[in-house]
Amino acid sequence: MGEVEKTFIGGLHEKLAEDKIIDESHLEPNFAKEIVKHGGKDVMTCLQCGNCTGVCPISLKIDYKTRSIIKFCQFGLKKFTLEMRWVCATCYRCYEYCPADINPAEVMIALRHMAIKEGVIPPFIKLAATNLVEYGQSVKPDSEIERVRRELDLEDMPSRTRGYAKVVREINLLVRSTGYDRLIGIESEVRG
Amino acid sequence: MTQYAYFFGCVIPNRYPGIEYAVRWVCGSDGFNLDVEDIEEFSCCPVPGIFYSSDKRTWLLIAARNLTLAQNERREILTVCNGCLTSLLKATENLADPKNLGRVNRVLSQIGRKYIGIPTKTEGRRRVMGPVKVRHYVDVMINDVGLETIAERTRKPLSNVRAAVHYGCHYLRPTEKQTIDDPNDPVNIDLIIEKCGATSIEYEDKLDCCGAGGGVRSHVVELANSITEDKCRKIADAGADCIVTGCPFCLLQFDNAQKSFTKEGIPVMHISQFQAIAMGVDPNSLGFDTHHVSVHSFIRKLRGT
Repeated sequence: MGEVEKTFIGGLHEKLAEDKIIDESHLEPNFAKEIVKHGGKDVMTCLQCGNCTGVCPISLKIDYKTRSIIKFCQFGLKKFTLEMRWVCATCYRCYEYCPADINPAEVMIALRHMAIKEGVIPPFIKLAATNLVEYGQSVKPDSEIERVRRELDLEDMPSRTRGYAKVVREINLLVRSTGYDRLIGIESEVRG
Repeated sequence: MTQYAYFFGCVIPNRYPGIEYAVRWVCGSDGFNLDVEDIEEFSCCPVPGIFYSSDKRTWLLIAARNLTLAQNERREILTVCNGCLTSLLKATENLADPKNLGRVNRVLSQIGRKYIGIPTKTEGRRRVMGPVKVRHYVDVMINDVGLETIAERTRKPLSNVRAAVHYGCHYLRPTEKQTIDDPNDPVNIDLIIEKCGATSIEYEDKLDCCGAGGGVRSHVVELANSITEDKCRKIADAGADCIVTGCPFCLLQFDNAQKSFTKEGIPVMHISQFQAIAMGVDPNSLGFDTHHVSVHSFIRKLRGT
């Protein structure tokens, strides 16, 4: 698929397949429908105008432009798009400037959901979720910060108080109720 | 008088306690004396870049649980973070759909909770329910405290300070939901800065993203930092003494990223810390020692040395 990265400029997928830029066996014809099922809009209505790319802070920096990612979705390059790193800052500028009302940011979110279901789970997701089920917060408490809190006469963090155990139990129950622990592989961290 | 509940989120208490100190001081009896309380059972909002991105059902349940806590106390949620704001606001919108609401309440009933919203008015005998109100600190400052009061309470005008304001994406977008500021030409933080006696400077691409959101900082930190570098260069070119933001996650990004491309760096602070200084709080008691970029240059400027 390396060639797609270098040569992709758009065009019809039959043509690209003929020119061997896209490997036909990688195409998933129902990909656009799957994206809709996961909360994204229909990428087939994208006009490829490129507004999303013009306003995207990330597209300035990397080879994959928002427009091309949407085009990959139109083609059905499922495996390829789901294995991409999470490079959308969810700033929602693309959404503001999209004449076809696609909301590319939400398409990116749908792709993330699908990637997670396929088992492509970035490590920081597990880390933050583990903190959540352990402390009720996504950021781990830090002893140096706790020292500064005392210096500032701030109360101990609620997560450090005894009453907070009930909050943590509730969070664990909510996380288990959706099967989120199994989904991202933190079953052993979840209590109860 | 409006009643609020503090919602500090995860980054402030666990990384930047100085912001928590400043917000409590500014809203407390030495400051504007707002009716605001802690609800200790609040959890993570939860972070949109992690939970909204990985499973919306789990995200909505945890956010809804937080909303029920404020609902039961009949308080508006006072968020100090753009991430918490967007996550909780989006959750109230999702819960306006009866299908989502039913599904969420079925699970919440297992922990003895139920989201119904808050009564907004009565029509005959029927109470009309509306969403739990989720407010941003800056919104409360502008619309509830008011610029006049902010100006009156400025004891030490920061008259020689040039501040570069960074609003952060989730304060501005999505625009059709934005009611607290003009998303394409926001002014609220600039106005607060001016009422503190300082100058809010213009700089190129002021509304650009910090680069960190959506999991980008956690996943591809070099990419996030390179976006921050561009923004910092423009801020430095405009001759800023400090970066002032309303979002602790943007603050964290500016504060951490700068060491990857510069030795000195521009001090970064939350608008509440900036206000506290103007209201007479000693900058040395605002927890700046947990910031990575030293604020010494800023404090020297304050003292005019």
